[in-house]
Amino acid sequence: MVSSLELELRRRLGDEQVASDPLDLYVFGKDSGLVRGEPGLVVFPRSTGEVATIMRLAGRHRVPVVPRGSGTGLAGGAVTTGPHVLLVTTRMNRIGPVDVENRCVWVQPGVINLDLSVHTTPFGLHYAPDPSSQSVCTIGGNVANNSGGPHCLAEGTTVNHVLAMEIVTPDGDIVTIGGPAPDPIGLDVRGLMVGSEGTLGIVTDALVNLLPNPPASRTILLAFPEVQNAAATVSGIIANGLIPAALEMMDQPMTIAVERFANAGFPTESAAVLIAEVTGHPSAVDAEAELVRRLAVSHRATLTRIASDEAERKRIWLGRKSAFGAIAQMNPDYYLHDTVVPRTRLVEAIEETYAISKRHGIPMLNVFHAGDGNLHPLMSFDASVPGVMERVDAAGRDLIEMCVAIGGSLSGEHGIGMEKRDYMPLVFDEMGLDAQARIREAFDPDGRLNPGKIVPQGSRCFDFGRPPPVGVWV
Amino acid sequence: MLRLRPSATGGGLGLSLASSTDGVSGLPTATPETIEEAAGLMANLPAGGDRIRIHGGGSHRGIGYPVTSDVVLSTSRLDRVVAWEPDDLTVVVEAGVLVEELEQMLASKGQTALLPEQPGTGTVGGAIATAISGWRRYRYGPIRDRVLETTLVSSDGRVVTAGGRVVKNVTGYDIPRLATGSLGAMGLIARVCLKLWPVPQASATVPVESPEEALEVAYRPLAVLETREGTAVFLGGTPEEVSGQAAALGAIPTPGLNWPDHPSGAVRFSVRTPPSSLRGIVDGLDPGWTYLAQFGVGEVTVGADEVDLEELGELRGRAESLGGALLMLDAPQSVAGAFDPWGTPPPSIEIQRRVVNLFDPGRRINRGILPGRI
Repeated sequence: MVSSLELELRRRLGDEQVASDPLDLYVFGKDSGLVRGEPGLVVFPRSTGEVATIMRLAGRHRVPVVPRGSGTGLAGGAVTTGPHVLLVTTRMNRIGPVDVENRCVWVQPGVINLDLSVHTTPFGLHYAPDPSSQSVCTIGGNVANNSGGPHCLAEGTTVNHVLAMEIVTPDGDIVTIGGPAPDPIGLDVRGLMVGSEGTLGIVTDALVNLLPNPPASRTILLAFPEVQNAAATVSGIIANGLIPAALEMMDQPMTIAVERFANAGFPTESAAVLIAEVTGHPSAVDAEAELVRRLAVSHRATLTRIASDEAERKRIWLGRKSAFGAIAQMNPDYYLHDTVVPRTRLVEAIEETYAISKRHGIPMLNVFHAGDGNLHPLMSFDASVPGVMERVDAAGRDLIEMCVAIGGSLSGEHGIGMEKRDYMPLVFDEMGLDAQARIREAFDPDGRLNPGKIVPQGSRCFDFGRPPPVGVWV
Repeated sequence: MLRLRPSATGGGLGLSLASSTDGVSGLPTATPETIEEAAGLMANLPAGGDRIRIHGGGSHRGIGYPVTSDVVLSTSRLDRVVAWEPDDLTVVVEAGVLVEELEQMLASKGQTALLPEQPGTGTVGGAIATAISGWRRYRYGPIRDRVLETTLVSSDGRVVTAGGRVVKNVTGYDIPRLATGSLGAMGLIARVCLKLWPVPQASATVPVESPEEALEVAYRPLAVLETREGTAVFLGGTPEEVSGQAAALGAIPTPGLNWPDHPSGAVRFSVRTPPSSLRGIVDGLDPGWTYLAQFGVGEVTVGADEVDLEELGELRGRAESLGGALLMLDAPQSVAGAFDPWGTPPPSIEIQRRVVNLFDPGRRINRGILPGRI
């Protein structure tokens, strides 16, 4: 049956911008994580005005709207929790004129991350956040999840690079937040919007900051007999006053998988491989690379190779960024986790990861942003084997509880979405959860946008001095 | 010198408010020693006498609309360094810790929170409440990029912690970022976890002629600052980098970071513009005013003994037409009463009002201080 909302949307947007056949609904029922939903309708707006129209019409029909970019998210943030309208931003992919003097540019949410940096290369500028999925993920999705990437150690995540945005509110109003000048007056709503997973408003345009391409860089490949040696090297580098552009680690199982897939020249006999990259002024990088090399040697490094040219550098990074593709050779399914621990607890966290893997009989490979303690244990399995999904779930829960127990948090860069929503009470007390719910209420009191994400049900519970009306469940 | 101290325990709620005043407003002043005490105190104020003004170090008290309050809550005794993890590059401190003392402590292990460099009596809580960044933001970004966790105390006694003590985190809404610059309107900023940076091995101050040319030549210096006395590039990094960058700038460097003084005057204000528009703004400043311009960032702080309100209004108009703002930092009554401290409220002002009203029901803390008189 065709709903009156669908008819109205088809009339306003045109048939080519509305999809509702079962195959479309199935295809758009998932992101890159494990959770599946089924949207009631999929719409592909081309402009801010159309997004506003969709929000208003859906609001009138009391159907929630869920924004989606390329669907590379891993936490179910863009998966509908009911027959909602899925608003896909990929057709809003215009890059505005590059403001070279102020090093910024307005981009629509459907622009692919890597396309932006390619576009700004002629100006000697790049967009810093570089998630591994950067060749397919969208800026809108990056904003929604506050995405990071290997190079966010020194440069920060998406929130450090968005100056302003245009949003469509749950009521369908269009509001500009932030601006090209530093520190707009009032509350930093722009900063709050980043990472809000499409629950507070739909970003329809973003003014992003661009960085000058570093005049020089050195990429160093290091290998160690023990994971501890690699972790100690990371600590030593930072203790020496150096924050490299990237500090990426892979354990042996991951190195073997990647090497088989990408032939990046990684030594497969080592317990841990560390990729360090220093960037900056030409007079700086050689001394910094030498410092990294010296520290690695003092921590028993068996290999310290500085990439001799751009081709070798690219090969190393291709290896690192194809880690998840490499897993496809092992088993039909994988589940990429994302948690964060204080950097000093890294070794402990990895050892616990191995114990959890063993306990549940699920192979786990590790690749992580070692500089900021961001772990990405990757479970490899065949979901068609009976009982496997239960073990994957149990292992995931153990991983999260372990990270929280050693002072970590639920997610470093993938978001909470649906996947981790019910783990929120592990890190927030009742008042903390209530505050999260208040943020949501301030923007979207009726639950019109991406319901069922981030904030667990029943979080909003404190109203001191204002007793709940009779009959209300608290 | 600060020392790490565990959180104080105990401490009754029965503070005698009338026993002291803040010495400025003559209002009763409470100086809670713990977060719990602050929560109990605010929640138990009598109706009709429950409007609260937060007082930190007093160095930014001129910012925002004037606040009418019944009591003052001073953070001076919320002054513990709760945890410092040098290897994780994080520190957890209470609001009343002095910026200067914290930075001294961190420097003992070669670290910095990148808080304002000449803080005077400023507290960590004050720096975060006002979101005033230090001079090194061109290289390291604004202060709000380093606030990892906040514990807010609302006027109805809720103690709300958000964020986390890890340097990278997307767990829940970024309330710490929202609280930074909130001037206490979302609740007393009682405790924060800050991300630290290692202090570079070497640093230097290099005098230059043109800030624009310096920004072209130098690769990501700490700061490029211009005052009436001249312009300097501030460098930090390995000794090789600092000497290499200084050589490229073609001037004789002075070792260390010799920051210029803050502009002084009875009236102080800040103009924020897109970076490329700063030259035009600076060149248009009244010759009688002193200033400190942060090139590459797009902010100039101005000091004046007297101002012509019409001239100030024109300057604000120019800044706002460029997408920026002019905000007052300090003004005598004659100016404060006649010139709006913030200017045109941002388009998201109604969203901001809803957020604040949900965080501080009844709007009792620093009521009306924000743009839009929130």
